[in-house]
Formats: sequence, structure tokens, C-alpha cells
Amino acid sequence: MKFLCTDCDTAMKFKDVTRPEQGSVTALFECPDCFTEIAMYLNPSETQMLKSLDLKLGGNNEAAQPMQLVRSQLETAKGESMPNEFSPEIASSETTEGGKCPFTGVISEAFQEEPEPTEPTGPVWSAEALERLERIPAFVRPMAKMGIESFAKENGHDEITGAIMDAARGNFPAQF
Amino acid sequence: MKSYKELPNDAGSNIIGQVTAQADRLQKRLASVKHTVAIMSGKGGVGKSAIAANLAVALTLRGNTVGVVDADINGPTLAKMMGVRNATLEYTPAGVKPAVAGLGTKLISMDLLLAEDDTPVLWNAHTQKDAFTWRSTMEVGALREFIADTVWGELDYLLLDLPPGSDRLPNVAELIPNLGGVVVVTIPSEVSQLVVKKSVTMARDVLKVPIIGVVENMAFYVCQHCGEEEPLFSADETLDDAFQQVLLGSIPFDPRLARCSDTGIPYIDEYPDTPASKALIQVTEKIQNFFDEKTQRSL
Ligand SMILES: Nc1ncnc2c1ncn2[C@@H]1O[C@H](COP(=O)(O)OP(=O)(O)OP(=O)(O)O)[C@@H](O)[C@H]1O
Ligand SMILES: [Mg+2]
Repeated sequence: MKFLCTDCDTAMKFKDVTRPEQGSVTALFECPDCFTEIAMYLNPSETQMLKSLDLKLGGNNEAAQPMQLVRSQLETAKGESMPNEFSPEIASSETTEGGKCPFTGVISEAFQEEPEPTEPTGPVWSAEALERLERIPAFVRPMAKMGIESFAKENGHDEITGAIMDAARGNFPAQF
Repeated sequence: MKSYKELPNDAGSNIIGQVTAQADRLQKRLASVKHTVAIMSGKGGVGKSAIAANLAVALTLRGNTVGVVDADINGPTLAKMMGVRNATLEYTPAGVKPAVAGLGTKLISMDLLLAEDDTPVLWNAHTQKDAFTWRSTMEVGALREFIADTVWGELDYLLLDLPPGSDRLPNVAELIPNLGGVVVVTIPSEVSQLVVKKSVTMARDVLKVPIIGVVENMAFYVCQHCGEEEPLFSADETLDDAFQQVLLGSIPFDPRLARCSDTGIPYIDEYPDTPASKALIQVTEKIQNFFDEKTQRSL
């Protein structure tokens, strides 16, 4: 896969990748000359293909961990075979999903679904607000969501409605 | 507008580099292994794993350092047969330390990673349907990691116990380009031989992997009272001529071998003088000769 900024005739560079949402990930590429960004969406099958081959978008800068594919992708692994005191950087990383491999968060961070919150930590979203949230591009959605939630909290709202989104909107470049 | 070829790389993902790095890791590890042997059969349940476990012990007893890869990702049995089911794998930055059986034989197996007896191998995926679609790819990845990421140390022999069928052999041949050879296991029944012949052709003619020879397992039954040999299968089911020519040995059925496999006791060490042990030792010698001659030829 290569990307060309047709305005500048320059190869685009990988910038960032999101965690999967409903199985698909979004990768951001940027033109180093004009800083135009494009988003590439991988459907669940494409995401799964990379995952199954233990390949990472944006390259793999970290040293390979022993048996990283097995340890991050084997759903039915026994706990003790997945130590978290393996090396300092791994010991300090958080387990992303309860009961699963603590390596998961480190090794294929880019391929793990956002962990399900065990209890609602932020304000409640109204159906209309949720629908609008869905319309925000996936790669900025988590950021936008956090921003709106903290806006709501700061302003003492327990429920996020369309009106609160409108109020929060001024703070964000993205349209929603 | 620049063409595909004029663009320097794949926007920084370097997929080819990542694949090459995986292969390098594997080759680095294999550099300290003298001989690799795949034990396979087109047919299931013919005794591949029991033979692999006993060959490993026989080679160890003859002074070799031996590692075993349980390449049967979904039906791993070697941890039990080698008596190391309770072993806990140790992870170090250099790799995973294998389980070590009583006599010093090293083993890596999926069984050592699964939670319970009844836990199947399930892979992470968005849906289990996706997981099943990509299962085979994951299994090959697991096999690559088993070989590459285990701290084997210097090995004289690395044995790979393959699952039934010949589907895994092409993957093994790709992962280990210098695969030393294949030991093919069959039982005397025509049904088994019919299937095993196909896997021999696949190995020899398609994959161009050296065939070390054929082991005829459960060849006959020795009466424990009178010592008389009785055929276990129909008396007129003899080994095919093509198999006879490369026969490494015929191993009788011995209930003690089955019991040892179930209890993780090395049969060949426990009952060294039985006909089955003698046949297994003969097979071991022939395998060693195969590699000795190969080394001679290359000198
Ligand atoms: N020569 C023998 N005498 C007695 N029992 C044997 C002999 N060979 C194998 N067995 C027993 O037969 C059963 C099947 O053997 P084993 O599991 O080794 O077969 P396999 O070919 O590896 O099977 P699979 O195709 O499922 O991997 C085991 O219980 C094993 O202990
Ligand atoms: Mg087996």
C-alpha cells in the first residue's frame, strides 16, 4: 500500500492508527509537504488479515516479544502462561481486558477493541447525541467523545444531549 | 504523477520488512539446530505422537540434545505423553524456556498454553466466524513462533510431531527450508497405506522434502505369555512394496506402550528389552545413519 498526495506529487506518510471499532481500524496518512491528511478504513476482514499475520500498520518499531502472536491472539490461553513481569515496559502496561493476556495491550495495541467500561464512568449519552457521535470520523471520535464528556462534566451536565454537543462544538474543529 | 514504483515505500508500514524480520528470527534460532525431522502420516491415530515421543527419548539416551515441537496445534498430546503437562513455561527476553522432560528432552506444545483439559484453541477475532476463516494462518504463525521463540539452545535434533493429514507439511517445508527429512508413519491396513501414499508423494515429489523412511506401527502383536507374533490387522495386509524399500522398522502393538504414553513415562527407557523398544531403537539408529551419511556426503 502506498499513498500519493496528488497536489504535491509526494508520497504520504503513515501518521496514526486507531484501535478497532466493531472490527475495523482507521489509519491516518499525511502529506509531509502540505500536511493534508487522509484516512484509510480497513474493514474487519482486512484488519483480521493483518492481525493473523502478526503485521502492524505503520511499521513495527518495537522489538518482537517471544511468541507475541500466540500470546496476544490466543483467546483461550491460561493466565499463568502470560506473565506480566516480563520486562519493565511490559510490567508497567495495563491489562486492557479483564482475564485476558496482559500482553494484549502492548503487543497489538492497534488491533485491540476499546475495552468495555465495567461501569459507566462518564455522563450518559442521549440517543440523538450518540447518533451524532457516530457521524464523527472514527479516528477522531474517541478524542471528540472525551472532549464533549469533560465539557459536560465541567458544566455540571449528567446527560449529553444534542444541545450540549452544540455548546461543546465551538471547542472542536470536527463537524458533528 | 509518480508511479507506484517511484514511491519509496509503503507509507512507513514496511510490511515486507516485518515479514522478513519474522523469517530472520526463525532462521537465527534454527542455526543452532543440526537436524530437523518431521514425523507425519496422511492418516490420524496411527501412532505419530507416541513414536515421536519415543524417538525423542531414544535419541536423548544415545547422547543427543533433543527438542520436540508439538506441531499439532489443535490436538496437542505430547505434553502428556512426555510427562510435562504441569510444566509452566518461563518467558525471558531471549524467548520462552521449553518444558523439560525427565531425561532432558525439551518440548514446546500448545497444551502448555491452554487453560484447562477441555479448552479448545480459539483465536481472538471480531467474530468467531472470522477467527475460523483465519485459523490456518494463525496456526502457521503459532508454529513459527514455537520454533523461533523457544530457547532451545544447541540441539542435535529437533523433532516436529505433525497433525494428521498432509496439510501442515507445506507450511513446515516453508518455515524450515533445510528440513532434514520426514519420517512417515503408517499402520499395515490398506486404508492407512492408501492415504499415507498420497502424503509421501506430496512430500517427495511436490515439496521435494527428503523422506528418511517409513515406520510401520502396530505391525503385529506379541503374545505376552508365549511370545508368539500375531498380526494385529488382517494377515494379508502386508506393507506396500514402495514402503518396504524405505522401511525403517516395524513396531509391534504393546499395551504397555499405550499405558506409558498415557502416564508420561518414557516406554523405551522403562522397557528397553521389549520387541517394540528394540524396533524403536532400530528406527532411531537408521535416522542417525541417514544424517551421518548426509554429513559424510557433504564433506
Ligand atoms: N505400538 C503401539 N502399541 C500400543 N499402543 C500404541 C502404539 N502406537 C501408538 N499407540 C497408542 O495409540 C494411540 C494413538 O497414538 P498417537 O496418539 O500417537 O497417534 P497419532 O498418529 O499421533 O494420532 P493423531 O493423528 O491424532 O495425531 C495412543 O493412545 C498411543 O499411545
Ligand atoms: Mg498425534
